[in-house]
Amino acid sequence: MFWDSKIETMEREELERLQYRLLKTLVYRLYSFSAFYHRRMEEAGVHPDDVKTLADVVKLPFMFKRDLRDNYPDKLFTATKEELVRYHVSSGTTGKPTVVGYTENDLEEWTVSLARALTSCGLGEKDVIQVSYGYGLFTGGLGLHYGAERIGATVIPTSVGGTERQIELMQDLGATAICCTPSYLLHLGEVAEKMGVSIRKDTKMRVGILGAEPWTAEMRNRIQDWLGIKAYDIYGTSELSGPLFTECTEQNGIHIWGDFALTEVVDPKTGEQVADGEKGELVMTILKKEALPIVRYRIGDITSMTREVCACGRTHPRIMRITGRVDDMLIIRGINVFPSMIEHTLMGIPEVGQHFQIVVDRKHELDTLLVRVELKPEAFSDKITELMKIKEMVGKRLESALTVHADVELAEPGSLPRFEGKAKRVTDRRKM
Amino acid sequence: MQRHTKGYRMFWDERMETLKGKELAALQLKRLKRTVAQAAKVPFYRDLLGKASLAPGDIRTLADVAKIPFTGKKDLRGGYPFGFLAVPLKEVRRIHTTSGTTGKPTVVGYTKKDLANWAGLIARNLTMVGLAEGDVFQNMVNYGLFTGGLGFHYGAELMGLTVVPSATGNTKRQIEMIGDFGVTAIHCTPSYAMHLSEVAAAEGARIPTLRVGCFGAEPWSEATRAELERRLGVSAFDSYGLSEMYGPGVAMECGEKDGLHLWHDSYLVEIIDPATGETLGAGEKGEMVITPLVKEAMPLLRYRTGDITMLMDGDGCSCGRGQKISRILGRSDDMLVVRGINVFPSQIEHVLFSLPEVGEQFMVYLDRIHQLDEMTIEVEMNRQAFSGELRDLHRVQVKIATALQETLGIRTDVKLVEPGSLPRFEGKAKRVVDRRGVLF
Repeated sequence: MFWDSKIETMEREELERLQYRLLKTLVYRLYSFSAFYHRRMEEAGVHPDDVKTLADVVKLPFMFKRDLRDNYPDKLFTATKEELVRYHVSSGTTGKPTVVGYTENDLEEWTVSLARALTSCGLGEKDVIQVSYGYGLFTGGLGLHYGAERIGATVIPTSVGGTERQIELMQDLGATAICCTPSYLLHLGEVAEKMGVSIRKDTKMRVGILGAEPWTAEMRNRIQDWLGIKAYDIYGTSELSGPLFTECTEQNGIHIWGDFALTEVVDPKTGEQVADGEKGELVMTILKKEALPIVRYRIGDITSMTREVCACGRTHPRIMRITGRVDDMLIIRGINVFPSMIEHTLMGIPEVGQHFQIVVDRKHELDTLLVRVELKPEAFSDKITELMKIKEMVGKRLESALTVHADVELAEPGSLPRFEGKAKRVTDRRKM
Repeated sequence: MQRHTKGYRMFWDERMETLKGKELAALQLKRLKRTVAQAAKVPFYRDLLGKASLAPGDIRTLADVAKIPFTGKKDLRGGYPFGFLAVPLKEVRRIHTTSGTTGKPTVVGYTKKDLANWAGLIARNLTMVGLAEGDVFQNMVNYGLFTGGLGFHYGAELMGLTVVPSATGNTKRQIEMIGDFGVTAIHCTPSYAMHLSEVAAAEGARIPTLRVGCFGAEPWSEATRAELERRLGVSAFDSYGLSEMYGPGVAMECGEKDGLHLWHDSYLVEIIDPATGETLGAGEKGEMVITPLVKEAMPLLRYRTGDITMLMDGDGCSCGRGQKISRILGRSDDMLVVRGINVFPSQIEHVLFSLPEVGEQFMVYLDRIHQLDEMTIEVEMNRQAFSGELRDLHRVQVKIATALQETLGIRTDVKLVEPGSLPRFEGKAKRVVDRRGVLF
């Protein structure tokens, strides 16, 4: 099933010609109309005429989150106020938030990207889609809302919170798909069970569109087995417009529409492109964005990309599941540790439940790593010896995966915090 | 679809907004017939019309509408969830919910056409209050299932306004955004606007770009209008709607600020005596009954809104639009409006009496603190369900407040009291004490 099969299955050479044309137009437009990009290109000694092939994108300077912050709220915009039809604001954890403006075309491109994505997940006009991302300034809610509306589905705009009511509506209104963070879906599943509702048996739920925080393949398996749905990864950030791209039913990488974005993966230290299949930092150029242009934007997410044609027939490049962020990489006694590696290890242990916490601290000038792990109810025993065995085994598994020692604490089922929005599982006390 | 054009304009849809007399009546009759036929696809209405020995063909004049029995909020409860839909679910593009009279909400469905109609009605309102492309519109009401947020959002977007979908909460941030984005118009409840003006004054924030305030979802007075206009530097307009009629967009004030223009091409209005059901004339106060004329997914016939108002004398206005209704003067039932959310005391009762920890009596108190509504509920405990430990007391309190929030959609302050300590009533219980008075 395709939303736009002609574009989605375009021959790679043709797609790259299209990308080149769009890139060239973009660079000329920015050089002429954006004071910021004009200055950046001059500083980098590059002129639009220097972009002669698609590969010449590497000549263009990178753009960082701080560029958006430094130009708060709208100094990077290349549309007039009259042309803007929407603002979204991402709450910065530190300092000023990031403001994103949209023209009518920007909203249209965003919506079309999601219409293609949701269709590739097997959703259509017969589906009833519950959008449980936050509505308002956060891009998750309104983004998925517009995408789901475009494919003709019935949209239930539940937004976040009111979990019991969400479960009731899911049942009563026959929702077939839900869009939310993976941690919220876990919370929802648990609350449902407490209410005596099995999402697998008592609802028509069959698809989850999950994102806005990193999660692992193991977490997917658990969600799918537990709730009886197909769980798809969705990717995007507010600077790029919002959530934009998902996996298809093959569940083998996220399709990045090439006529929409130019994808690169670079070494975070050198900024050099890495080979397809190798891990690095994702860099995006959004080819048709009008209000807030994004060129070679260093998102900070770690992934790898492939240009192989997907089994579904789509020819556009794919990125693999995000395994972490350049800036959430924890360096513990000199060793790089990504929270996703810890999740990956824990979710491979049958006794371990869905929830865990990571606490990094410094004692006597030495970094310490503590992992609090919630056990599954059936694995939680009264016998201290049993628990000690599990604890030891979890510690060993973590140590061999991370190559650094981790202290393990076992927690009772249901005792660790649950999250309605993005999960906050890591506490780094060294920074406090 | 109608596209926005640049610059100020008098009307969004001049023909429909100014339609009067015979032409309007002819259009209303045509649409009424279509609506009755559409409603007849719904089993509830098939029965209702059958019992009244009415066939859709019996509606020959506009006056014939009086032959149709009323539909009330309680009737909608019986249709939960999809009983009032006149189209297959596949054609329903959106679902909103609104307060029901008990634990379950009322479900409202929209077809693609409904969503377009609704956005068009909001665009009429916003054009009427002087907004056009180039204006920056900050929408400070709840998004999601509540119709206020997405309703205004789609209308403003249709007109090409710049929309700041700020939703509710974080008042300081809201004020910052008004400054940062040069916001010219806001939409919120009048009490939130009052709160915002207090916070802005306390912060010493200047918001000189603001010039239009669209306020609705709760009753407010002329004194409040004067105060809001002075404090915020806006021209303040009253907006009216209800989710059963799409949401906001049913009626709004024009620059005259003397009554609200109701869109007669889309809503057939009657004012009735709430006790007898008898139709009242212009200038007479009564309950507003609406038959929507363009709704597809969920047509309703003679729906009793519970709102007390009157049709104003004369069918015109200096702005050129049609007959107005007065500002809402009260309710014919016991519905409460708390922070813009509709609450029925029956919902509270339903929630409380489904919890074993709750005893025989409860009382509801409404206050206004820092311009915001606060609801306190005193609940008698059930001795059998209570261990006497303090920790247990807290647990019960949280459980009750959570259950109320799930159903009502608002936070309440729950206080547990000794069994037998609340007043007993011999006749009709008066469990709600509204101490808010007139806003500000």
